[in-house]
Amino acid sequence: MLTFLVRRVTAGLVLLYVLATAAFAMMSLTGADAARNIAGTMATSEQIAAKRHQLGLDRPWIGQYGQWLTHAVRGDFGTSWFGGDSVSESLVLKAPVSLSIVVSGLLLATVLSAVLGVAAAVRRGWLDRVVQATAIVGYAVPSFLMALLLSATLAVQLGWLPATGYVPLASSPSDWLRSITLPAVSLAIGAIAATAQQVRGSVIDVLRQDFVRTLRSRGLSERRVLFRYVLRNAAPPALTVLSLQFISLVGGAVVIEKVFGLPGVGSAAVTATINGDTPLVMGVVVYLVLIVVAVNLLVDLAYGWLNPKVRVR
Amino acid sequence: MAGAALTLVAVSACGRSGATASATGDDTLTLSIGNAHTGWDLASAALGDNIQYYEPVFDSLVRLDPEARPHPNLATSWSYDRDRTALTMRLRKDVRFTDGTALDATAVRKSLLHTKEGTNEAAGKLRAIDSVEVVNPRTVVLHLSAPDPQLVANLGDPSGMIASPGDLTAKGGPVGSGPYVLDKAATTNGSTYAFTRNPDYWNPKAYPFDKIVIKNVSDPTARLNALLSGQVDWARITPQTARYAKGHGLGVRAHADSVEGLYIWDRTGRTVPALGKVKVRQALNHAFDRKTIVEKLNLGYATATSQLATAGSTWYEKSLESNYAYDPAKARRLLAEAGYPHGFTVTMPDVSSVAPGQQVVMVQALEDIGIKVKVDKIPFTRLFTALQSGEYPMSWFKLQSGQPWDFIQSELTRGAAWNPAKDFDPKLNRMIDKAQRARGGAQTAAFRAINSYLQDNAFNAPWDVLDAVQGNSKRIKVTPRAFVSAVPISNMAPAG
Repeated sequence: MLTFLVRRVTAGLVLLYVLATAAFAMMSLTGADAARNIAGTMATSEQIAAKRHQLGLDRPWIGQYGQWLTHAVRGDFGTSWFGGDSVSESLVLKAPVSLSIVVSGLLLATVLSAVLGVAAAVRRGWLDRVVQATAIVGYAVPSFLMALLLSATLAVQLGWLPATGYVPLASSPSDWLRSITLPAVSLAIGAIAATAQQVRGSVIDVLRQDFVRTLRSRGLSERRVLFRYVLRNAAPPALTVLSLQFISLVGGAVVIEKVFGLPGVGSAAVTATINGDTPLVMGVVVYLVLIVVAVNLLVDLAYGWLNPKVRVR
Repeated sequence: MAGAALTLVAVSACGRSGATASATGDDTLTLSIGNAHTGWDLASAALGDNIQYYEPVFDSLVRLDPEARPHPNLATSWSYDRDRTALTMRLRKDVRFTDGTALDATAVRKSLLHTKEGTNEAAGKLRAIDSVEVVNPRTVVLHLSAPDPQLVANLGDPSGMIASPGDLTAKGGPVGSGPYVLDKAATTNGSTYAFTRNPDYWNPKAYPFDKIVIKNVSDPTARLNALLSGQVDWARITPQTARYAKGHGLGVRAHADSVEGLYIWDRTGRTVPALGKVKVRQALNHAFDRKTIVEKLNLGYATATSQLATAGSTWYEKSLESNYAYDPAKARRLLAEAGYPHGFTVTMPDVSSVAPGQQVVMVQALEDIGIKVKVDKIPFTRLFTALQSGEYPMSWFKLQSGQPWDFIQSELTRGAAWNPAKDFDPKLNRMIDKAQRARGGAQTAAFRAINSYLQDNAFNAPWDVLDAVQGNSKRIKVTPRAFVSAVPISNMAPAG
């Protein structure tokens, strides 16, 4: 198991290095002139040149990247070119916002997709048809549109929940929950739809297998067969979909944070990319890659726990 | 950034009721700003909408009224010398920064020179200052390299805000002598900035709210939703959402902001020789149906015009308002007279991500008079750089034109940011030089002559003056200030 873990961690670090290098190269290729953006639209060419020199943008990109990398491996991600805040401190402030909506969305998706998928597979009939139809609609509607609809109805029209803003968990747990409910639900709907379909299909497949018939013939209760044997065998494919959905939720959070005016990593990533704020973009890239690598590692470990044969691969 | 910021078009979500009560209490004013904060160091200060970030903590040398005329503030009086290259300012007594340091001439000198050394918009407005002389603790003289007709008014914005000499770079947060202090405990950098009253502020009546909260919300739909649900009291909204906001109990105000139209960057004909000919540029001015653009594209939140000056500015001439009527036949005739009976081909940047309607109208109007347009796909992040470097001979654009000297500095002088061709028109330069050194009525006449000259020579093909549209809750009253998109916080008060 230790070798398995070391291999996965090493692969994650290689992925992090490759993606960070690619992101840095792409930032220099986008053409976003950070010096001009900072200096403002009325700045003269002399002012822009001075800013460019101050930021080191007049040096070859490989030199800029080398400097960033040597600082980054020591945990120093520099300061944002816009606003001058420390990138690390900025991410510490923004990460809880993004993680709140992504993790809540994932939890919501996990629970609801499991309940709906299993119910549809076991009961079949009208319930199955309703779950399938709802899943198709839920999957087809983009999360940003869902966010706009929820915001306009539940927040603006009915005033049940806040339309914008984030309250930290430490300040007020109830206000935190209110502030993340609509973004998390907006994010979760697509994931629920996709995962519920996968759970349904997997459970139906397992229910048809010979060993289930054998278990039933031995007189085990339906409940025990379902929860002890069927779900454990049906879980790995659903887990794969769920891990992919997590990555999709992280991407979706970028738009959802904009719609709900949340000061998270996603909205920072959009603004920083448009402005060409390389230190902040690189900080966000590292943060996101680490999250995705960590989640994949957890999924791999869960696979290993569910199926020991996986560990030797 | 803010000066000519291009704003993305927002599409409203649907809804029914609009709560107007403040979510944060009667003595709190909550604003939502689309622009990200650029830090507390005034050397990095941007203008436009960003002004609202700085106003609570830093007081300015002069205060501007709704018509943007300067009035005493930290400076109680001021006067120029004969050459208008030395501006003497008398300073208010008994003003202290929030770190306890007294505001005196030395502090003013250090702060102004620090801001001037910066690389953002506030610094750019202090370009004419050569040195700052401390005559005595209450008197300071700003020595200029050449007369700057707009300098005193610019000292009413972040350019003229004064930071404590103890922390000019604001490493530990802003230290000013403004009406409020930053409440660090309630502030989250990058998203929410909270301010509580500065108990020692000399003019508390100018700021009736006990607390100010500024939320940075970049998405226009999110800003509108925050307004509609009563989470904020004021925010910039879009023409597309204005009617909806009004119908749901919000106050909506609009004031002249930026001049929109076809900007001709290559007036010398360096890359497209046709554009070097006045008749061609005049033809371009006759190509656009300005009234329809105002009504259909901008939903009435604009004023059709064919001059570059906005109403209310000192160089505005009503008689220039409606020249260059929409007349495609005349445009084709002018093109033929200039030697281009079959038009010409021009490559323009794709602006459909920020002005999709304008792009369609512009291309159609140009093709109607025989000009073939090749639309070049370009990422929005490169647009400003490409235009300023003269990569495109002309394009749709909008820029704040404000007062004449600001316009000249940003669009006409050789080093101007929005004069990519660096074209040199000796006659125009003489006119600018004359206006710069003139005074009073003679100066106004000189600026108006420049406005007229720009129109006669068709420097650009303006369509309209776009409005800055804002929504506010009914619990506050708002008075916009001319020539700036944002409303100063001192121009907001409880409605009662």
